[in-house]
Amino acid sequence: MISLRGVSLVYPNGVRALDNVSLEIGKGDFVFLVGHSGTGKSSLLRLLYREAAATAGEIVVDGIRVDRLRRNRVPALRRHLGVVFQDFKLLTDKTVWENVAFAMQVTGAHTRDVMRQVPRVLDLVGLSHKSRMYPNELSGGEQQRAAIARALVNNPKILLCDEPTGNLDPVNTTEITALLQRINLKGTTVVVATHNQAVVDRMRRRVVRLEDGRITTDEERGYYYLGLGQGQILSG
Amino acid sequence: MDSGKVKFFLGEVLRNFSRNTGMQLTAIGTVAITIVLLGLFLFVRAALADAGNKLLDQIEISAYLQPDATAAQAAAIGHFLVQDPRVASAQFVPKKQGLAELRARTRGSIDTALLTENPLPDKFRIKVRDPEQVEPVAATVRRLAGVDNVVYGQKIVQRLLALGAVLRRVGIGLILAFVGVASIIISNTIRLTVFARRREIAIMQLVGATNTYIRLPFICEGLVDGVIGALVALALLAGARATLWPRLLEALPWVQLTAMPVDARILAAQLILTGTAIGVLASWISVGRYLRT
Repeated sequence: MISLRGVSLVYPNGVRALDNVSLEIGKGDFVFLVGHSGTGKSSLLRLLYREAAATAGEIVVDGIRVDRLRRNRVPALRRHLGVVFQDFKLLTDKTVWENVAFAMQVTGAHTRDVMRQVPRVLDLVGLSHKSRMYPNELSGGEQQRAAIARALVNNPKILLCDEPTGNLDPVNTTEITALLQRINLKGTTVVVATHNQAVVDRMRRRVVRLEDGRITTDEERGYYYLGLGQGQILSG
Repeated sequence: MDSGKVKFFLGEVLRNFSRNTGMQLTAIGTVAITIVLLGLFLFVRAALADAGNKLLDQIEISAYLQPDATAAQAAAIGHFLVQDPRVASAQFVPKKQGLAELRARTRGSIDTALLTENPLPDKFRIKVRDPEQVEPVAATVRRLAGVDNVVYGQKIVQRLLALGAVLRRVGIGLILAFVGVASIIISNTIRLTVFARRREIAIMQLVGATNTYIRLPFICEGLVDGVIGALVALALLAGARATLWPRLLEALPWVQLTAMPVDARILAAQLILTGTAIGVLASWISVGRYLRT
Protein backbone atom coordinates (compact mmCIF):
# COMPACT_ATOMS: atom_id res chain seq x y z
CA MET A 1 0.00 0.00 0.00
CA ILE A 2 2.89 2.32 0.89
CA SER A 3 6.44 1.78 -0.31
CA LEU A 4 9.54 3.93 0.13
CA ARG A 5 12.87 3.00 -1.44
CA GLY A 6 16.04 4.92 -0.70
CA VAL A 7 14.10 8.09 0.03
CA SER A 8 15.94 11.26 1.08
CA LEU A 9 14.50 14.65 1.81
CA VAL A 10 16.65 17.76 2.02
CA TYR A 11 14.79 20.99 2.72
CA PRO A 12 15.76 24.13 0.80
CA ASN A 13 17.51 25.46 3.92
CA GLY A 14 19.89 22.50 3.73
CA VAL A 15 18.43 20.46 6.58
CA ARG A 16 18.51 16.76 5.79
CA ALA A 17 15.18 15.55 7.20
CA LEU A 18 15.30 12.02 5.83
CA ASP A 19 18.32 10.05 4.73
CA ASN A 20 17.99 6.96 2.53
CA VAL A 21 14.78 5.67 4.11
CA SER A 22 13.18 2.43 2.88
CA LEU A 23 9.89 1.18 4.27
CA GLU A 24 7.08 -1.13 3.19
CA ILE A 25 3.61 -0.86 4.70
CA GLY A 26 1.02 -3.41 3.60
CA LYS A 27 -2.69 -3.08 3.07
CA GLY A 28 -4.55 -2.90 6.39
CA ASP A 29 -1.40 -2.43 8.46
CA PHE A 30 -1.25 -0.32 11.60
CA VAL A 31 2.14 1.37 12.00
CA PHE A 32 3.57 3.72 14.60
CA LEU A 33 6.36 6.09 13.61
CA VAL A 34 8.26 7.03 16.76
CA GLY A 35 11.29 9.12 17.54
CA HIS A 36 12.29 12.43 19.07
CA SER A 37 11.11 15.74 17.68
CA GLY A 38 12.93 16.57 14.48
CA THR A 39 13.85 13.02 13.59
CA GLY A 40 11.75 13.07 10.44
CA LYS A 41 8.40 11.52 11.44
CA SER A 42 6.33 14.43 10.14
CA SER A 43 8.59 14.80 7.12
CA LEU A 44 7.97 11.18 6.21
CA LEU A 45 4.20 11.69 6.40
CA ARG A 46 4.47 14.93 4.42
CA LEU A 47 6.19 13.02 1.64
CA LEU A 48 3.31 10.53 1.52
CA TYR A 49 0.63 13.17 0.97
CA ARG A 50 3.03 15.17 -1.21
CA GLU A 51 3.22 18.25 0.97
CA ALA A 52 6.97 17.82 0.51
CA ALA A 53 8.74 16.37 -2.51
CA ALA A 54 11.47 13.74 -2.08
CA THR A 55 14.96 14.83 -3.01
CA ALA A 56 15.85 11.26 -3.97
CA GLY A 57 14.28 7.83 -3.94
CA GLU A 58 11.03 6.19 -4.98
CA ILE A 59 7.67 6.55 -3.20
CA VAL A 60 4.54 4.57 -4.10
CA VAL A 61 1.24 5.22 -2.31
CA ASP A 62 -1.78 3.17 -3.32
CA GLY A 63 -0.22 2.48 -6.70
CA ILE A 64 0.68 6.14 -7.35
CA ARG A 65 4.31 7.09 -7.97
CA VAL A 66 4.30 10.06 -5.58
CA ASP A 67 7.91 11.05 -6.28
CA ARG A 68 7.09 11.52 -9.95
CA LEU A 69 3.67 13.05 -9.40
CA ARG A 70 2.96 16.18 -11.39
CA ARG A 71 1.65 19.10 -9.39
CA ASN A 72 -1.77 19.01 -10.98
CA ARG A 73 -2.18 15.33 -10.01
CA VAL A 74 -1.61 16.01 -6.29
CA PRO A 75 -5.35 16.53 -5.56
CA ALA A 76 -6.07 13.07 -7.00
CA LEU A 77 -3.47 11.53 -4.65
CA ARG A 78 -4.92 13.29 -1.63
CA ARG A 79 -8.37 11.93 -2.33
CA HIS A 80 -6.89 8.47 -1.64
CA LEU A 81 -5.57 9.62 1.72
CA GLY A 82 -6.97 10.91 4.98
CA VAL A 83 -4.71 13.12 7.07
CA VAL A 84 -5.14 14.02 10.75
CA PHE A 85 -3.07 16.55 12.68
CA GLN A 86 -2.27 17.43 16.26
CA ASP A 87 -4.08 20.79 15.93
CA PHE A 88 -7.19 19.28 14.23
CA LYS A 89 -7.26 21.95 11.50
CA LEU A 90 -11.01 22.40 11.68
CA LEU A 91 -12.72 25.49 10.28
CA THR A 92 -14.04 27.38 13.29
CA ASP A 93 -16.88 29.09 11.45
CA LYS A 94 -18.38 25.83 10.23
CA THR A 95 -20.28 23.24 12.23
CA VAL A 96 -19.01 19.69 12.64
CA TRP A 97 -21.36 18.57 9.87
CA GLU A 98 -20.17 21.36 7.55
CA ASN A 99 -16.52 20.67 8.32
CA VAL A 100 -16.91 17.03 7.36
CA ALA A 101 -19.10 17.76 4.34
CA PHE A 102 -16.60 20.44 3.22
CA ALA A 103 -14.02 17.75 2.42
CA MET A 104 -16.46 16.16 -0.01
CA GLN A 105 -17.95 19.35 -1.39
CA VAL A 106 -14.62 20.89 -2.39
CA THR A 107 -13.81 17.78 -4.40
CA GLY A 108 -17.03 18.26 -6.32
CA ALA A 109 -18.94 15.37 -4.74
CA HIS A 110 -22.59 14.96 -5.54
CA THR A 111 -24.94 16.29 -2.83
CA ARG A 112 -26.67 12.91 -2.68
CA ASP A 113 -23.36 11.26 -1.74
CA VAL A 114 -22.59 13.98 0.82
CA MET A 115 -25.95 13.45 2.50
CA ARG A 116 -25.31 9.72 2.70
CA GLN A 117 -21.63 9.71 3.62
CA VAL A 118 -21.40 12.45 6.27
CA PRO A 119 -23.87 10.87 8.74
CA ARG A 120 -22.11 7.55 8.28
CA VAL A 121 -18.65 8.82 9.32
CA LEU A 122 -20.09 11.00 12.10
CA ASP A 123 -21.72 7.87 13.46
CA LEU A 124 -18.43 5.97 13.14
CA VAL A 125 -16.57 8.55 15.27
CA GLY A 126 -19.53 8.95 17.65
CA LEU A 127 -20.34 12.60 16.94
CA SER A 128 -23.80 12.27 15.38
CA HIS A 129 -25.41 14.07 18.31
CA LYS A 130 -23.00 17.03 18.02
CA SER A 131 -23.06 17.52 14.29
CA ARG A 132 -24.63 20.98 14.57
CA MET A 133 -22.05 22.27 17.05
CA TYR A 134 -19.06 24.45 16.21
CA PRO A 135 -15.49 23.25 16.92
CA ASN A 136 -15.08 25.75 19.78
CA GLU A 137 -18.04 24.15 21.55
CA LEU A 138 -16.35 20.73 21.55
CA SER A 139 -13.68 19.13 23.74
CA GLY A 140 -10.27 18.44 22.25
CA GLY A 141 -11.11 14.76 21.84
CA GLU A 142 -14.35 15.57 20.07
CA GLN A 143 -12.57 18.02 17.78
CA GLN A 144 -10.06 15.33 16.87
CA ARG A 145 -12.89 12.91 16.21
CA ALA A 146 -14.47 15.47 13.90
CA ALA A 147 -11.13 15.83 12.12
CA ILE A 148 -10.90 12.04 11.77
CA ALA A 149 -14.44 11.96 10.39
CA ARG A 150 -13.39 14.57 7.83
CA ALA A 151 -10.31 12.53 6.93
CA LEU A 152 -12.46 9.41 6.41
CA VAL A 153 -15.41 10.92 4.60
CA ASN A 154 -13.93 10.34 1.14
CA ASN A 155 -13.36 6.64 1.96
CA PRO A 156 -9.55 6.72 1.82
CA LYS A 157 -7.62 3.46 1.91
CA ILE A 158 -4.93 5.10 4.03
CA LEU A 159 -5.18 7.28 7.14
CA LEU A 160 -2.09 9.32 8.08
CA CYS A 161 -1.99 10.77 11.61
CA ASP A 162 0.62 13.29 12.72
CA GLU A 163 0.65 13.39 16.53
CA PRO A 164 -3.12 12.82 16.71
CA THR A 165 -3.13 12.78 20.52
CA GLY A 166 -0.53 15.48 21.06
CA ASN A 167 -3.07 17.98 22.38
CA LEU A 168 -5.26 15.53 24.30
CA ASP A 169 -5.53 14.38 27.90
CA PRO A 170 -5.12 10.65 28.69
CA VAL A 171 -8.85 9.88 28.58
CA ASN A 172 -9.32 11.45 25.18
CA THR A 173 -6.07 9.91 24.02
CA THR A 174 -7.44 6.47 24.86
CA GLU A 175 -10.66 7.21 23.00
CA ILE A 176 -8.89 8.40 19.89
CA THR A 177 -6.54 5.44 19.95
CA ALA A 178 -9.47 3.07 20.20
CA LEU A 179 -11.15 4.86 17.31
CA LEU A 180 -8.03 4.53 15.15
CA GLN A 181 -7.94 0.87 15.95
CA ARG A 182 -11.57 0.46 14.97
CA ILE A 183 -10.91 2.23 11.69
CA ASN A 184 -7.96 -0.06 11.08
CA LEU A 185 -10.12 -3.13 11.74
CA LYS A 186 -12.42 -1.99 8.91
CA GLY A 187 -9.45 -2.40 6.55
CA THR A 188 -7.97 1.06 6.42
CA THR A 189 -4.18 1.27 6.54
CA VAL A 190 -3.25 3.54 9.47
CA VAL A 191 0.10 5.29 9.97
CA VAL A 192 0.54 7.23 13.22
CA ALA A 193 3.50 9.46 14.02
CA THR A 194 3.57 9.93 17.78
CA HIS A 195 5.50 10.87 20.89
CA ASN A 196 3.04 9.17 23.15
CA GLN A 197 4.76 6.30 24.90
CA ALA A 198 1.57 5.08 26.60
CA VAL A 199 -0.33 4.73 23.34
CA VAL A 200 2.44 2.81 21.62
CA ASP A 201 3.13 0.53 24.55
CA ARG A 202 -0.55 -0.30 25.10
CA MET A 203 -1.26 -1.09 21.45
CA ARG A 204 1.76 -3.34 20.78
CA ARG A 205 1.59 -2.81 17.03
CA ARG A 206 4.33 -2.40 14.45
CA VAL A 207 6.76 0.33 15.54
CA VAL A 208 9.15 2.06 13.12
CA ARG A 209 11.79 4.11 14.93
CA LEU A 210 13.43 7.12 13.31
CA GLU A 211 16.65 8.74 14.50
CA ASP A 212 18.25 11.66 12.67
CA GLY A 213 16.28 10.96 9.53
CA ARG A 214 17.11 7.26 9.37
CA ILE A 215 15.06 4.20 10.30
CA THR A 216 16.95 2.49 13.13
CA THR A 217 14.51 -0.28 14.07
CA ASP A 218 11.31 -1.78 12.70
CA GLU A 219 9.54 -4.19 15.07
CA GLU A 220 6.38 -6.16 14.39
CA ARG A 221 5.08 -5.75 17.96
CA GLY A 222 7.17 -3.00 19.45
CA TYR A 223 7.39 -0.65 22.39
CA TYR A 224 8.04 3.07 22.39
CA TYR A 225 11.53 2.58 23.77
CA LEU A 226 13.67 -0.11 22.25
CA GLY A 227 13.04 -3.37 24.08
CA LEU A 228 11.28 -1.72 27.04
CA GLY A 229 7.66 -1.94 28.13
CA GLN A 230 5.49 0.65 29.82
CA GLY A 231 6.62 1.69 33.29
CA GLN A 232 10.25 0.93 32.67
CA ILE A 233 12.63 3.85 32.73
CA LEU A 234 15.71 4.35 30.70
CA SER A 235 18.75 4.89 32.86
CA GLY A 236 20.95 7.88 32.33
CA MET B 1 -24.09 20.40 -11.20
CA ASP B 2 -26.85 19.66 -8.73
CA SER B 3 -28.59 22.37 -6.79
CA GLY B 4 -26.83 21.43 -3.57
CA LYS B 5 -23.45 22.07 -5.16
CA VAL B 6 -24.54 25.44 -6.51
CA LYS B 7 -25.95 26.38 -3.12
CA PHE B 8 -22.72 25.37 -1.39
CA PHE B 9 -20.63 27.34 -3.87
CA LEU B 10 -22.72 30.51 -3.72
CA GLY B 11 -22.82 30.18 0.06
CA GLU B 12 -19.01 30.09 0.15
CA VAL B 13 -18.71 33.16 -2.08
CA LEU B 14 -21.28 35.07 -0.06
CA ARG B 15 -19.71 34.05 3.24
CA ASN B 16 -16.27 35.20 2.12
CA PHE B 17 -17.70 38.39 0.74
CA SER B 18 -19.52 39.38 3.88
CA ARG B 19 -16.71 38.30 6.19
CA ASN B 20 -14.18 40.72 4.75
CA THR B 21 -16.43 43.70 4.17
CA GLY B 22 -13.67 46.22 4.84
CA MET B 23 -11.33 44.69 2.32
CA GLN B 24 -14.09 44.31 -0.25
CA LEU B 25 -14.88 48.00 0.12
CA THR B 26 -11.21 48.83 -0.40
CA ALA B 27 -11.10 46.77 -3.57
CA ILE B 28 -14.37 48.22 -4.85
CA GLY B 29 -13.16 51.74 -4.06
CA THR B 30 -9.92 51.16 -5.92
CA VAL B 31 -11.72 49.87 -8.98
CA ALA B 32 -14.16 52.79 -8.77
CA ILE B 33 -11.38 55.41 -8.61
CA THR B 34 -9.52 53.80 -11.47
CA ILE B 35 -12.60 53.61 -13.62
CA VAL B 36 -13.54 57.22 -12.81
CA LEU B 37 -10.07 58.36 -13.89
CA LEU B 38 -10.22 56.21 -16.98
CA GLY B 39 -13.73 57.40 -17.83
CA LEU B 40 -12.76 61.05 -17.30
CA PHE B 41 -9.75 60.58 -19.47
CA LEU B 42 -11.68 58.90 -22.29
CA PHE B 43 -14.42 61.54 -22.09
CA VAL B 44 -12.05 64.52 -22.11
CA ARG B 45 -10.00 62.97 -24.87
CA ALA B 46 -13.10 62.52 -27.00
CA ALA B 47 -14.21 66.08 -26.21
CA LEU B 48 -10.82 67.53 -27.18
CA ALA B 49 -10.63 65.48 -30.35
CA ASP B 50 -14.14 66.58 -31.17
CA ALA B 51 -13.36 70.25 -30.56
CA GLY B 52 -10.18 69.93 -32.59
CA ASN B 53 -12.04 68.38 -35.51
CA LYS B 54 -14.57 71.17 -35.42
CA LEU B 55 -11.83 73.76 -35.55
CA LEU B 56 -10.21 71.91 -38.40
CA ASP B 57 -13.53 71.68 -40.20
CA GLN B 58 -13.77 75.44 -40.15
CA ILE B 59 -10.35 75.96 -41.58
CA GLU B 60 -10.43 77.12 -45.15
CA ILE B 61 -7.74 77.68 -47.67
CA SER B 62 -7.57 81.07 -49.35
CA ALA B 63 -5.87 80.86 -52.72
CA TYR B 64 -5.09 84.42 -53.91
CA LEU B 65 -4.68 84.87 -57.62
CA GLN B 66 -1.98 86.90 -59.26
CA PRO B 67 -3.22 90.43 -60.08
CA ASP B 68 -2.69 89.73 -63.77
CA ALA B 69 -4.35 86.33 -63.74
CA THR B 70 -6.70 85.89 -66.65
CA ALA B 71 -10.33 84.84 -66.42
CA ALA B 72 -9.37 81.66 -68.30
CA GLN B 73 -6.81 80.85 -65.60
CA ALA B 74 -9.39 81.49 -62.88
CA ALA B 75 -11.86 79.22 -64.67
CA ALA B 76 -9.21 76.51 -65.02
CA ILE B 77 -8.42 76.70 -61.29
CA GLY B 78 -12.11 76.52 -60.46
CA HIS B 79 -12.53 73.52 -62.75
CA PHE B 80 -9.55 71.77 -61.18
CA LEU B 81 -10.83 72.35 -57.64
CA VAL B 82 -14.28 71.02 -58.38
CA GLN B 83 -12.77 67.83 -59.78
CA ASP B 84 -10.40 67.23 -56.87
CA PRO B 85 -12.03 64.57 -54.61
CA ARG B 86 -10.33 66.00 -51.52
CA VAL B 87 -12.08 69.33 -51.91
CA ALA B 88 -15.46 69.74 -50.25
CA SER B 89 -16.28 73.15 -51.70
CA ALA B 90 -14.56 75.86 -53.64
CA GLN B 91 -15.93 79.36 -54.04
CA PHE B 92 -14.62 82.10 -56.28
CA VAL B 93 -14.48 85.43 -54.43
CA PRO B 94 -13.92 88.35 -56.81
CA LYS B 95 -11.95 91.31 -55.45
CA LYS B 96 -15.06 93.46 -55.15
CA GLN B 97 -16.75 90.97 -52.87
CA GLY B 98 -13.50 90.54 -50.96
CA LEU B 99 -13.42 94.25 -50.22
CA ALA B 100 -17.06 94.24 -49.11
CA GLU B 101 -16.31 91.33 -46.78
CA LEU B 102 -13.26 93.11 -45.42
CA ARG B 103 -15.35 96.22 -44.82
CA ALA B 104 -17.96 94.19 -42.98
CA ARG B 105 -15.36 92.36 -40.91
CA THR B 106 -13.52 95.52 -39.78
CA ARG B 107 -16.79 97.36 -39.15
CA GLY B 108 -15.62 100.75 -40.35
CA SER B 109 -12.36 100.86 -38.44
CA ILE B 110 -10.67 101.09 -41.85
CA ASP B 111 -12.03 103.79 -44.10
CA THR B 112 -12.12 102.01 -47.44
CA ALA B 113 -13.48 105.14 -49.08
CA LEU B 114 -9.92 106.48 -49.01
CA LEU B 115 -8.79 103.73 -51.38
CA THR B 116 -8.42 104.88 -54.94
CA GLU B 117 -8.36 101.34 -56.20
CA ASN B 118 -9.12 97.90 -54.79
CA PRO B 119 -5.83 96.44 -53.48
CA LEU B 120 -7.27 92.96 -52.97
CA PRO B 121 -6.70 90.19 -55.48
CA ASP B 122 -9.36 87.73 -56.56
CA LYS B 123 -9.33 84.54 -54.53
CA PHE B 124 -10.74 81.06 -54.17
CA ARG B 125 -12.13 80.01 -50.81
CA ILE B 126 -11.57 76.25 -50.47
CA LYS B 127 -12.81 73.79 -47.89
CA VAL B 128 -11.46 70.24 -47.73
CA ARG B 129 -13.25 67.12 -46.63
CA ASP B 130 -10.57 65.79 -44.25
CA PRO B 131 -8.53 68.14 -42.01
CA GLU B 132 -5.48 65.99 -42.72
CA GLN B 133 -5.68 67.11 -46.35
CA VAL B 134 -5.49 70.85 -45.73
CA GLU B 135 -1.74 70.93 -46.27
CA PRO B 136 -1.52 68.67 -49.34
CA VAL B 137 -4.40 70.50 -51.03
CA ALA B 138 -2.80 73.87 -50.25
CA ALA B 139 0.48 72.65 -51.75
CA THR B 140 -1.25 71.45 -54.92
CA VAL B 141 -3.17 74.69 -55.37
CA ARG B 142 -0.02 76.78 -54.87
CA ARG B 143 1.50 75.18 -57.98
CA LEU B 144 -1.47 76.01 -60.23
CA ALA B 145 -0.92 78.67 -62.92
CA GLY B 146 -2.27 82.05 -61.88
CA VAL B 147 -2.13 81.37 -58.16
CA ASP B 148 -0.06 83.91 -56.32
CA ASN B 149 -0.28 82.90 -52.69
CA VAL B 150 -2.07 80.32 -50.56
CA VAL B 151 -3.02 81.11 -46.99
CA TYR B 152 -4.57 78.88 -44.33
CA GLY B 153 -4.19 78.45 -40.58
CA GLN B 154 -0.92 76.55 -40.97
CA LYS B 155 0.05 76.74 -37.32
CA ILE B 156 -3.36 75.77 -36.00
CA VAL B 157 -3.64 72.86 -38.39
CA GLN B 158 -0.19 71.59 -37.51
CA ARG B 159 -0.78 71.93 -33.78
CA LEU B 160 -4.17 70.31 -33.79
CA LEU B 161 -2.94 67.40 -35.88
CA ALA B 162 0.04 66.97 -33.56
CA LEU B 163 -2.19 67.17 -30.49
CA GLY B 164 -4.45 64.50 -31.91
CA ALA B 165 -1.51 62.20 -32.54
CA VAL B 166 -0.12 62.78 -29.05
CA LEU B 167 -3.50 62.15 -27.44
CA ARG B 168 -3.85 58.90 -29.30
CA ARG B 169 -0.37 57.74 -28.35
CA VAL B 170 -0.43 58.91 -24.74
CA GLY B 171 -3.95 57.58 -24.38
CA ILE B 172 -3.06 53.95 -24.84
CA GLY B 173 -0.10 54.24 -22.48
CA LEU B 174 -2.16 55.99 -19.82
CA ILE B 175 -4.94 53.44 -20.01
CA LEU B 176 -2.48 50.59 -19.65
CA ALA B 177 -0.88 52.35 -16.68
CA PHE B 178 -4.27 52.89 -15.02
CA VAL B 179 -5.27 49.27 -15.43
CA GLY B 180 -1.86 48.05 -14.28
CA VAL B 181 -1.85 50.15 -11.12
CA ALA B 182 -5.41 49.20 -10.27
CA SER B 183 -4.67 45.51 -10.80
CA ILE B 184 -1.71 45.69 -8.45
CA ILE B 185 -3.67 47.44 -5.70
CA ILE B 186 -6.62 45.10 -6.04
CA SER B 187 -4.47 42.02 -6.19
CA ASN B 188 -2.87 43.14 -2.93
CA THR B 189 -6.30 43.65 -1.39
CA ILE B 190 -7.44 40.25 -2.54
CA ARG B 191 -4.18 38.74 -1.33
CA LEU B 192 -5.19 39.93 2.13
CA THR B 193 -8.49 38.11 1.85
CA VAL B 194 -6.63 35.06 0.57
CA PHE B 195 -4.30 35.32 3.56
CA ALA B 196 -7.26 35.62 5.91
CA ARG B 197 -8.51 32.34 4.52
CA ARG B 198 -5.21 30.47 4.34
CA ARG B 199 -6.42 27.81 6.81
CA GLU B 200 -9.39 27.11 4.62
CA ILE B 201 -7.21 26.93 1.52
CA ALA B 202 -4.74 24.62 3.28
CA ILE B 203 -7.58 22.31 4.27
CA MET B 204 -9.03 22.38 0.77
CA GLN B 205 -5.64 21.40 -0.63
CA LEU B 206 -5.29 18.73 2.02
CA VAL B 207 -8.52 16.97 1.15
CA GLY B 208 -7.74 17.09 -2.56
CA ALA B 209 -9.55 20.11 -3.94
CA THR B 210 -8.08 21.13 -7.28
CA ASN B 211 -6.47 24.54 -7.66
CA THR B 212 -9.16 25.57 -10.10
CA TYR B 213 -11.80 24.79 -7.51
CA ILE B 214 -9.94 26.72 -4.82
CA ARG B 215 -9.48 29.66 -7.15
CA LEU B 216 -13.05 29.90 -8.32
CA PRO B 217 -14.62 31.66 -5.30
CA PHE B 218 -11.79 34.22 -5.28
CA ILE B 219 -12.22 34.90 -8.98
CA CYS B 220 -15.94 35.38 -8.41
CA GLU B 221 -15.13 37.74 -5.58
CA GLY B 222 -12.78 39.77 -7.80
CA LEU B 223 -15.37 39.80 -10.54
CA VAL B 224 -18.06 41.12 -8.19
CA ASP B 225 -15.64 43.74 -6.82
CA GLY B 226 -14.80 44.82 -10.36
CA VAL B 227 -18.41 45.06 -11.51
CA ILE B 228 -19.59 46.93 -8.41
CA GLY B 229 -16.59 49.28 -8.60
CA ALA B 230 -17.30 50.01 -12.24
CA LEU B 231 -20.98 50.65 -11.53
CA VAL B 232 -20.09 53.06 -8.72
CA ALA B 233 -17.68 54.83 -11.07
CA LEU B 234 -20.33 55.04 -13.79
CA ALA B 235 -22.77 56.63 -11.34
CA LEU B 236 -20.14 59.21 -10.33
CA LEU B 237 -19.26 59.93 -13.95
CA ALA B 238 -22.90 60.27 -14.97
CA GLY B 239 -23.41 62.68 -12.07
CA ALA B 240 -20.40 64.76 -13.08
CA ARG B 241 -21.51 64.76 -16.71
CA ALA B 242 -24.98 65.99 -15.70
CA THR B 243 -23.89 68.71 -13.26
CA LEU B 244 -20.31 69.84 -13.90
CA TRP B 245 -19.96 69.45 -17.66
CA PRO B 246 -22.72 71.98 -18.63
CA ARG B 247 -21.13 74.54 -16.32
CA LEU B 248 -17.76 73.94 -17.91
CA LEU B 249 -19.33 74.41 -21.33
CA GLU B 250 -20.79 77.72 -20.14
CA ALA B 251 -17.53 78.84 -18.61
CA LEU B 252 -15.56 78.14 -21.79
CA PRO B 253 -17.78 79.38 -24.60
CA TRP B 254 -14.90 79.93 -27.00
CA VAL B 255 -13.86 76.27 -26.85
CA GLN B 256 -16.24 74.42 -29.08
CA LEU B 257 -17.07 71.50 -26.78
CA THR B 258 -19.92 69.16 -27.48
CA ALA B 259 -22.39 68.27 -24.73
CA MET B 260 -21.82 64.55 -25.28
CA PRO B 261 -18.76 63.80 -27.39
CA VAL B 262 -18.96 60.02 -26.90
CA ASP B 263 -21.61 57.34 -27.12
CA ALA B 264 -22.56 56.89 -23.45
CA ARG B 265 -23.55 53.25 -23.93
CA ILE B 266 -20.27 52.30 -25.57
CA LEU B 267 -18.25 54.14 -22.93
CA ALA B 268 -20.25 52.48 -20.14
CA ALA B 269 -19.70 49.06 -21.67
CA GLN B 270 -15.98 49.72 -22.03
CA LEU B 271 -15.68 50.84 -18.41
CA ILE B 272 -17.65 47.91 -16.98
CA LEU B 273 -15.61 45.49 -19.06
CA THR B 274 -12.39 47.09 -17.83
CA GLY B 275 -13.55 46.93 -14.19
CA THR B 276 -14.47 43.27 -14.53
CA ALA B 277 -11.18 42.47 -16.23
CA ILE B 278 -9.24 44.24 -13.48
CA GLY B 279 -11.10 42.32 -10.76
CA VAL B 280 -10.68 38.91 -12.38
CA LEU B 281 -7.06 39.50 -13.37
CA ALA B 282 -6.09 40.75 -9.92
CA SER B 283 -7.69 37.86 -8.04
CA TRP B 284 -6.29 35.32 -10.47
CA ILE B 285 -2.78 36.64 -9.89
CA SER B 286 -3.03 36.92 -6.11
CA VAL B 287 -4.50 33.45 -5.56
CA GLY B 288 -2.11 31.97 -8.07
CA ARG B 289 0.85 33.27 -6.13
CA TYR B 290 -0.53 31.72 -2.97
CA LEU B 291 -1.31 28.34 -4.48
CA ARG B 292 2.13 27.93 -5.98
CA THR B 293 3.91 28.09 -2.63
